[in-house]
Amino acid sequence: MKKFIFKTVIYFGLILMALELLVRAFHLHADDPPKMIDEFGVEKRVPGSTGHYVKGNRRQNFTHFSINNSGFNSYRQFNPSESKYEVALVGDSFIEGFHQNFDNSLGKKIERLLPELEVYEYGYTGSTMAYQMHLVNAYQEEFRNIDKIILYMKFKNDFDTHEHEANYELIRTLNTLPFRIRKNCKLWVYGSNYGMTMPIKNIASAIWKGFIFLRGKGNLEVAIPEMEATSVTDRIENFKKLIATYGLDTQKTVLLLDSRVTDNQFLDFCKENGITYLDFSEAFQKALDPVTLIYDMHWNDYGRELLAESIADYLQREIDR
Amino acid sequence: MLFNSVQFALFLPIVFLGYWVVTKINRKAQNFLLIVASYIFYAWWDWRFLGLIAFSTGVDFVVGQRIYVHLDDRKKAKAWLLLSVVANLGLLGFFKYYNFFVDSLVDSLQVLGYSVKSKYTLSIILPVGISFYTFQTLSYSFDIYYRRLKPTTNFVAFAAFVSFFPQLVAGPIERASNLLLQIERPRKFQYTQAADGLKLILWGLFKKLVIADSLAPMVDDIFANYGTYPSSTLILGVVMFSFQVYGDFSGYSDIAIGTAKLFGIELMSNFRFPHFSRNVAEYWQRWHVSLSTWFRHYLYIPLGGSRVSKQRAVFNILVVFLVSGLWHGSNWTFVFWGGFHALLFIPVFLLKRNRIYMDSVIGQNTYLPSLKETGQVLLTFGLVTFSRIFFRSPNLADAFAYIRGIFTDFQMEWYTHPLGYRMVDYYILMLLFVVYEYRIRKNERSPFHFKSPFVRFVLYVLAIFGILLFYDDGINRSFIYFQF
Repeated sequence: MKKFIFKTVIYFGLILMALELLVRAFHLHADDPPKMIDEFGVEKRVPGSTGHYVKGNRRQNFTHFSINNSGFNSYRQFNPSESKYEVALVGDSFIEGFHQNFDNSLGKKIERLLPELEVYEYGYTGSTMAYQMHLVNAYQEEFRNIDKIILYMKFKNDFDTHEHEANYELIRTLNTLPFRIRKNCKLWVYGSNYGMTMPIKNIASAIWKGFIFLRGKGNLEVAIPEMEATSVTDRIENFKKLIATYGLDTQKTVLLLDSRVTDNQFLDFCKENGITYLDFSEAFQKALDPVTLIYDMHWNDYGRELLAESIADYLQREIDR
Repeated sequence: MLFNSVQFALFLPIVFLGYWVVTKINRKAQNFLLIVASYIFYAWWDWRFLGLIAFSTGVDFVVGQRIYVHLDDRKKAKAWLLLSVVANLGLLGFFKYYNFFVDSLVDSLQVLGYSVKSKYTLSIILPVGISFYTFQTLSYSFDIYYRRLKPTTNFVAFAAFVSFFPQLVAGPIERASNLLLQIERPRKFQYTQAADGLKLILWGLFKKLVIADSLAPMVDDIFANYGTYPSSTLILGVVMFSFQVYGDFSGYSDIAIGTAKLFGIELMSNFRFPHFSRNVAEYWQRWHVSLSTWFRHYLYIPLGGSRVSKQRAVFNILVVFLVSGLWHGSNWTFVFWGGFHALLFIPVFLLKRNRIYMDSVIGQNTYLPSLKETGQVLLTFGLVTFSRIFFRSPNLADAFAYIRGIFTDFQMEWYTHPLGYRMVDYYILMLLFVVYEYRIRKNERSPFHFKSPFVRFVLYVLAIFGILLFYDDGINRSFIYFQF
């Protein structure tokens, strides 16, 4: 019995090591460039980071990313000047674009259609409208020379707050030893990307709760704040407050949205307040093939192509005007 | 509790350690612990149906003894046997077939012109494993009646035999002469047996999680939308289903046998590479062996088996296959499936070729199969796979429409899943699986039987790596045979 348990443990350890090697050898894990918060309170990636983003257990989507000197995933450096026509594309993971090769991004596609343009992609995973407006405000010196600002928004996700708060605690936590170990264990990274580690996390969480229960002698109740679904009017109110806090240059800012998933009240609010929006729903509705990736819902190459055409058409009209 | 769940991954080591620790203190407690573990295992799914297992246990324990007392008085013995049959098949009939028979009766009356509405059906949950444990307990009473077995006086051992968790919900359907006799004796821990058990569990998990689960989305899509696909896709769908159902059920059996080994118990083999069969008779010696032998021992032979006139023997075969079909599910599709297999089996029987492959496998003495064997295997696989259209379709109309689609819309087209799965991965996977199964075809209980420890280690790693590569947390991971 002792021999059995001993050998099982040894085999288990060796198998884990072999799997770690295989995951690394085939680069099945997604790299996650380190995060930072700059002196303006803007969360972004550490400049100079490079790596691969992987989606699908069997590397069905394998892309390169490269973080530029400004801390965003882009093939170009951001050097706005008065002499050129620059466009800032601000948004979340859809704009950050780890799911595509950094040199074939949405911005690059727009530049191909309008070669006289330079497109700066300020994308950061999980960013909300508060983040985006804070960023534009914080980098106002830089943005002064930018001719057009496109804010990509999803109405249901991006208007839950009326103020941006940089999450210093998260950045600190990610730099602690356990998280650094976790990040370097590629087998774990790979497993957690596809939900394989979720059961282990659940067990650990249950054990931790049990531990707290025993220590607290029956005090198992942990206060979990109830998440209330923010209503349409709440979201619009948040947007108003964001405008009041960070300002919104309606002359050069345009919201990029899909009207199929945006409430009409919000669209009316934009119209009433002279806020321009660019609706790409029609282009997607007419699409002949799927516009999103298989293993996540980010835009695929075809989707980005359609979107680039919509944005380029709009920008061409603006330039002509 | 599913074998492929985290709960089971925690449950098994705890029970395993507890079992062998208890053994050191008191060997008699082994069976008691097995019962507790088995009842917890079952209750995880639905505790309300524990009563049915307990009922079946109680009835057959008493009936077994009463039959034995009256062995010389066949009338009384038969009466007691009948009680066991009525109790077990009554449970099965009510929970599994009540609605089916009511609906079928209503349909028949409507065909005859009577206007009857089906308002007599009930909302009944089918208790998991009821078809398996009722047949297992029935076999105990039958064996005593046919003087093959003496009844046990050890109720704890008998209860452990009925509820033994590794095979409680989907077999193998054990005979008392094998399982009960082992349970009655105290078990000793044996390193080799336990190690073999772990290997079988790993292989079973591979078959379930990699083969069965990864093919499930394609099979589901093709069978759900068969009307929109060309014949090549319909053929692909049912071939994939063959792989899926084999991976699913044989995977379950391997995990069950492997788990039992951890507790020092040897269960019977349930699958012996059925898709390498050279005719349908051989297929039934290799597919769901515990069920096919059950029907042979307790239905076919009592009906007279083959030691009767040819017509009568053919009738017996037909009955066995139809009942076997019905055992699988309360749907006419299963009856058709059984009937189709009878039609495949009867010619083989009449040509006296039903027992010629009893003791050999393809490529018995050669590395590769002969051309003839390959042809035989492909033909048998094709026929068996074709029959699975009935097995997989929700009703007969769909099954026949699917078949019509194969034969009337003959087109070759690459299949693409609506979600865009990379199909080439699955074709390679199926091919490698067939090649590996062929390599290990001579010993179903030793899937990693290679001399070199390094090769074995590499195979363990690759099996787990395969599970990681094909893991999909969006898939329903239940076992197909749980519904039976």
